[in-house]
Amino acid sequence: MKIPKLFRKTLFGVFLLFGVIGISTSLLLIYTIDTHLSKEYEANSKGIAKTIADASVNILLNSNLTALQSLIDQFIEIQGVSYVYITSETGEILAHTFVPGIPEEITAGDVTSTATVERSLPGKGDFIEVASPILAGVAGTVHIGMDTGLIALKIQRAIGQQIYLICIIFVVGVFAAIWFVNFAAKPVDGLLAYAVGLAREQSADGAASRDLLSRNDEAGDLARLILHFSQSTDVRGTRPQSGPERSKE
Amino acid sequence: MTSTTRRRVLQYGLAGSLMGLAPKSLGATMSSGVTDSEIVLGMSAAFSGPSRGLGIELFRGASAYFEHVNRNGGVGGRKVVLKTYDDGYQPDPAVKNTLTLMLEDEVFALFGYVGTPTVTRVLPMLKKFQERQIYLFFPFTGAQPQREPPYGGFAFNLRASYRQETAGLVQNFVDIGRRRIAVFYQADAYGRSGWAGVRKALKPYGERIVGEATYRRGSKFTGVMRDQVEILKASRPDAVICIGAYAACAAFLRDAVDLGLHVPIANVSFVGSENLLNLITQGRDDGERYSDLLVNSQVVPSYHDTSIPAVKQYQELMALYAPSAPQELLKESYTPFSHSFVSLEGFLDAKMMVEILTRLGERPERSALEDAVFSIAEYDLGIGETVSFGPERRQGLHKVYYTVVDEGRFVPLHDWQKRFA
Repeated sequence: MKIPKLFRKTLFGVFLLFGVIGISTSLLLIYTIDTHLSKEYEANSKGIAKTIADASVNILLNSNLTALQSLIDQFIEIQGVSYVYITSETGEILAHTFVPGIPEEITAGDVTSTATVERSLPGKGDFIEVASPILAGVAGTVHIGMDTGLIALKIQRAIGQQIYLICIIFVVGVFAAIWFVNFAAKPVDGLLAYAVGLAREQSADGAASRDLLSRNDEAGDLARLILHFSQSTDVRGTRPQSGPERSKE
Repeated sequence: MTSTTRRRVLQYGLAGSLMGLAPKSLGATMSSGVTDSEIVLGMSAAFSGPSRGLGIELFRGASAYFEHVNRNGGVGGRKVVLKTYDDGYQPDPAVKNTLTLMLEDEVFALFGYVGTPTVTRVLPMLKKFQERQIYLFFPFTGAQPQREPPYGGFAFNLRASYRQETAGLVQNFVDIGRRRIAVFYQADAYGRSGWAGVRKALKPYGERIVGEATYRRGSKFTGVMRDQVEILKASRPDAVICIGAYAACAAFLRDAVDLGLHVPIANVSFVGSENLLNLITQGRDDGERYSDLLVNSQVVPSYHDTSIPAVKQYQELMALYAPSAPQELLKESYTPFSHSFVSLEGFLDAKMMVEILTRLGERPERSALEDAVFSIAEYDLGIGETVSFGPERRQGLHKVYYTVVDEGRFVPLHDWQKRFA
């Protein structure tokens, strides 16, 4: 596909514009999706923690730790929830889902705090831990650890899908731009060929010439103007010299 | 549904001819699960997976007694039939099986469920369908949920609780100066139940659990428990109490001994003592090296002690009927034991169940079940401890027995000081 020189800069400009739009949209998407999904996961985790906290009140007050463990075992089946532990109001861990044991990073910290924290547990991965108080904290605290690796993977997947779509639009857009440029350049090509034909004293009565002269756009105007000049010079008995001959002077 | 429904008609013989003679008012409505010829009980237990030995042995023990009863006329002329399903010791299949047993099979009562994580999830269903008055009889678990509100009213227990077992273990360890107790447990409701029992038992002595390590349910003997051993070793325990199933507990015992954790290692009754011993000694010349540290609590007496009438009967009936595992449910090979603590418990469960069914009279009704159970007072089951039930007493037996391995078999432990001091 030969692109006329006249439009190469235009095409490059279009390409550049598409690129800038694509990259800036992608960056905005990455930021938006990352922020929103992260917040959504955190909100979901807090929702789970609150659900467990609400359901734990009677169980804890009855000191039924078996039922409490059974309760949290059901929540660990939710995708993304990596661990759950419940502490008493004094900070004793009463039920948990850790195997082979409770990590020192957790026992060393303040297990009664309800602040959201990011944890890196050796051999287990990185987690975002949210907490919810049970009975306003006087009965204990529920902690939920969400696997940030899994969250990141899901965010990456969502971003990847968006960028994939943008890339497809970009490629389709570039090809469309090239096609449109060529489409727009076609009358110019015809005009050039027409002018060259006149200069070489070739017949201008062909179908292509008739189509060009009948156009009602700028190409048609220029063609008629060139024809007019050509006929005027013929009447005066002078002919413009051909390109190569002019260059010899 | 992965499990296959299989009706186990346990006994034929005299019962058939006797049933024909029994006067029954045909056409009158009877409770679901009861016909003129049968009383159907539903059982969901582990018949596959690493804990299959528990379900199979419990079933075999119960089958021996039900078969004996059925061959001798059944209960009021009706054969006792056990409808069994496999749950692989997993909660979700246990819940599905229970739904099938209650709503499709319409069994008379549930019997002989295996495991805390399974039973704990089934109990709310009994409450949900409480208008049907379906009770769970004698589950093979010592956990608290089926002994306490809000679900205690839907189950009857025969065996002592984990709380009683762990309290006994702790007391005996403390008495011989082993006060630093660590716990190795299954990361689920069963493990938590035992952990809570140890924690509670240590409190009066001013002690706390010094270390704890967990494993995932379904772990196999081939699995490695080195991390767990290292965690517990770091806490410098005087003894370790394990709340687990035999495959994982055997793996822990093996790795503990290999890594130099030379302290008594105790297990509660659920472990399946013979299966555990089999795993740690099979194919080894130095089996004692591992079994010497072992002390297991039991909720039934020694099956070797034939001076106990029920044990004598158990041995006779196991030999006479040689009950097999439910072949239809077996997915993996299993070699049953001639005798075991688990099958003896199943045998006693069945014996108690038959007594309750007998007390229901000519026309067994679910609505009369609770009263029939509560009518049992100072009943002699034949093991030297009488059984009583009541509205506030939904557990029949309370005694805990302690056993150690001597010459390749479990024998009663009488002197803790001599063995472990």
